[in-house]
Amino acid sequence: MTQTEDLLRRLAPQVLGALVRRYGHFDTAEDAVQEALLTAVTRWPAEGVPDNPRGWLITVAARRLTDLLRAEQARQRREETVARRLPPEGWTAPPADQPPTGYDDTLVLLFLCGHPALSAASQIALTLRAVGGLTSVEIARAFLVPEATMTRRISRAKRTIRDSGVPFGLPPAAQRAERLGSVLHVLYLIFNEGYASTAGPALFRADLCAEAIRLTRLLHRLLPDDPEVTGLLALMLLTDARRSARTGLDGTLIPMAEQDRSRWDADQIAEGLGLVAEALPRGGIGPYRIQAAIAALHDEAPSAEQTDWPQIVALYHLLLTLTDNPMVALNHAAAVAMAHGPAAGLDLVDKLGTDSRLADDHRWYAVRAHLLEQAGERAAARAAYEVAADRAMSLPQQRYLRTRAARLDAVPPDEAR
Amino acid sequence: MNGVTPAPTAEEKTVKYMIMLTGSQRDYDALTGRDTPDSPAWPAEDVAKLHEFMAAWNNDLVESGEFVDARGLAAPVHTRRVQLRDGAPVVTDGPYPETQEVLAGYTIVECDSFDRATEIAARLAYTPHPESASLTSEWYVDVRPIADGAEELA
Repeated sequence: MTQTEDLLRRLAPQVLGALVRRYGHFDTAEDAVQEALLTAVTRWPAEGVPDNPRGWLITVAARRLTDLLRAEQARQRREETVARRLPPEGWTAPPADQPPTGYDDTLVLLFLCGHPALSAASQIALTLRAVGGLTSVEIARAFLVPEATMTRRISRAKRTIRDSGVPFGLPPAAQRAERLGSVLHVLYLIFNEGYASTAGPALFRADLCAEAIRLTRLLHRLLPDDPEVTGLLALMLLTDARRSARTGLDGTLIPMAEQDRSRWDADQIAEGLGLVAEALPRGGIGPYRIQAAIAALHDEAPSAEQTDWPQIVALYHLLLTLTDNPMVALNHAAAVAMAHGPAAGLDLVDKLGTDSRLADDHRWYAVRAHLLEQAGERAAARAAYEVAADRAMSLPQQRYLRTRAARLDAVPPDEAR
Repeated sequence: MNGVTPAPTAEEKTVKYMIMLTGSQRDYDALTGRDTPDSPAWPAEDVAKLHEFMAAWNNDLVESGEFVDARGLAAPVHTRRVQLRDGAPVVTDGPYPETQEVLAGYTIVECDSFDRATEIAARLAYTPHPESASLTSEWYVDVRPIADGAEELA
């Protein structure tokens, strides 16, 4: 990211917040801010960054908003709207100089974009555009959908927010915790989308992981005392730190036990560990905090064998009291195998086999195959890897599972029995 | 541009084209590391070369602004076919023979002419593959214009 871009992306939510606070019209204001950002992208590198970039952007965006609203009003008059709409309060005479309330506004925007009336896909798209300052084209590329589809999705989301009539402000205190939960979930999904995509032949995707981390960092600055916000930021940093060690040249996945740990990002790990240390003693439990603590134990360990598996098992156990997600249960089983031996892990995995949500999932077979391999059951492991490969949809995953199966072919089963 | 095609005027509409790639279950198996008779699994470095080539091809289209969308399909074996039998819909799993060529993925480009879309597709003829690879049939890609208004259905 260039310096100008960096500055613009940081200012985007502040400018939008200032505009909506002053004039209302969230949907039109959002368009106006995008246009102001584009103007800045073309003019600042040539003419230099203005002394007060935030004020410059607000002025340009406000002017553009005025034009857009006038055009809209003219259209409405042409459509013979009987009542002549008055410009919104304060529109004709904006306060000369408002103190920057940027940070509060960013928080309000995050809550607005996580509005419960929106689908998860819309929440994500709108958050990236209104708070992240990404263009619709960039967001479309990142999610591999046609630009027209993304533009429509964003317009619909903005209309929904406009029609819902929510005032521009923080949600009432009673709803705030729940709404914060959905904001965190949106950020988590953005991160996951980026992280999952690093496996395949990942083409031209904007770096969603970096964007998710940037936005969560922003949220953490606004709510430094919320342990779940801290936990989510730590989880992202500690997970992303392992990214470059996670795939081989041909895009195949490398399991954590076999990753070259010298390729993990030490700075990111240090920052993540600091955040975990900050979040955990605050008392209470939350899913992001617990997952961050698990990631921290992995990142601290010099090897898979020297990992504190009993502690990881305990944390998964705690996580299972908060969620009945079968993938968490599967991870728990894998950790139990590391702590107490493959037989104990296999027992748990086999029990999960009756869960209909995992019935056809290649991941259940893959974990089972790994544990059978650990137990020295080479033939059964090989068969399980093949079944997992047949059920996997993604090509790199299939390739990984077939390679594991083939490895069991290569060495004759000997002293294992 | 070769100078023969006149530059499009502002009013001239660009058209979208779908470039369709095909493959058989056997090709998928070779790519994901399974040996089948007459079709050995690809070594990892050849898969890496293929990814690199496809990424460069795609990124060129993004750079030139002609890229619209691209998708790869899961292996043919995951196909379900729904068809009418005696007036009732019947579902068949994995209806294709091992060597039948079916749609494997597509790239949609938006460009000035059919010739330009064809030129883009023709570059795929140089897709690298291992010496040992035996393709199910003669290599080909299809390019088809997308009918006007189709994007409204997206």
